[in-house]
Amino acid sequence: MKKTMTLNLTDTEMQVLQDLCDKKDLSKTAVLRQALRLYQLVDVRLEQGGKLFFEDEAKKEKAELMVL
Amino acid sequence: MTSYPVFLTDKRTGEPVAAELIETISEADLRSVETEWKPVTNAKIRALMAKGLSPADWPEGWHWKWRDKVTAINGLLAFRTFALRCEGKLQGLMQLNTARARCRVPEQAGKDLVYVDYIETAPWNRTAIVDTPRFGGVGTIMIRAAIEVSRDHELRGRIGLHSLPSAEAFYANVCGMTDLGLDGTYEGLRYFEMTSVQADAFSG
Repeated sequence: MKKTMTLNLTDTEMQVLQDLCDKKDLSKTAVLRQALRLYQLVDVRLEQGGKLFFEDEAKKEKAELMVL
Repeated sequence: MTSYPVFLTDKRTGEPVAAELIETISEADLRSVETEWKPVTNAKIRALMAKGLSPADWPEGWHWKWRDKVTAINGLLAFRTFALRCEGKLQGLMQLNTARARCRVPEQAGKDLVYVDYIETAPWNRTAIVDTPRFGGVGTIMIRAAIEVSRDHELRGRIGLHSLPSAEAFYANVCGMTDLGLDGTYEGLRYFEMTSVQADAFSG
């Protein structure tokens, strides 16, 4: 069963959300559900001692992403 | 627990047999793997070892540990799992990941997809393990389920996976997925992707 909630976003946040919807061809709900899945996954993995990196193979750069 | 009525094909008679696709792999399913699947697979491995064959010649996926896989993703929204049961026995398992990969096929590049982490059918359904498989259709049902999860996430049926060599023909010819070649970043396995159009053609 799905539940409904009201979300308060700034204009900028709403614009970012809309841009993601356009780019991904998803509704706002779908984008936010995907974001929640990702956020939970990252949070749990970090709690387990994992680290999150972005790697640029071309530049041979690897940067750890700090998640608060 | 959500379950869906499906049909497998009895390989002995060619007739459809009622089965049940159940969302979320249960403890009972894991026990079935350990007490019903493993003995069959291990017997085959012992027979192959007696012939002097190495692990490279053993049935693909013989080393998979479903209990470990399921434990590792427990409680995570990004993962969905399915079990397929027929005639009281576990016939197949699947793990999906909705937060792992983006599409690679040019027409849908950058969009999200559902990635099929693992699919396995019971050893008595595999020609690599038994001479006469018991049921057919496990792979088809699982891929259709993956497509439905993709649609549920508004991903229009887009799915992707890396195939074990023995299943490549199934994904290419039966499922109609696009073969994007061997992937050097993933154990050298061949990567397949299904577009939304291909998903509609495969599952309607």
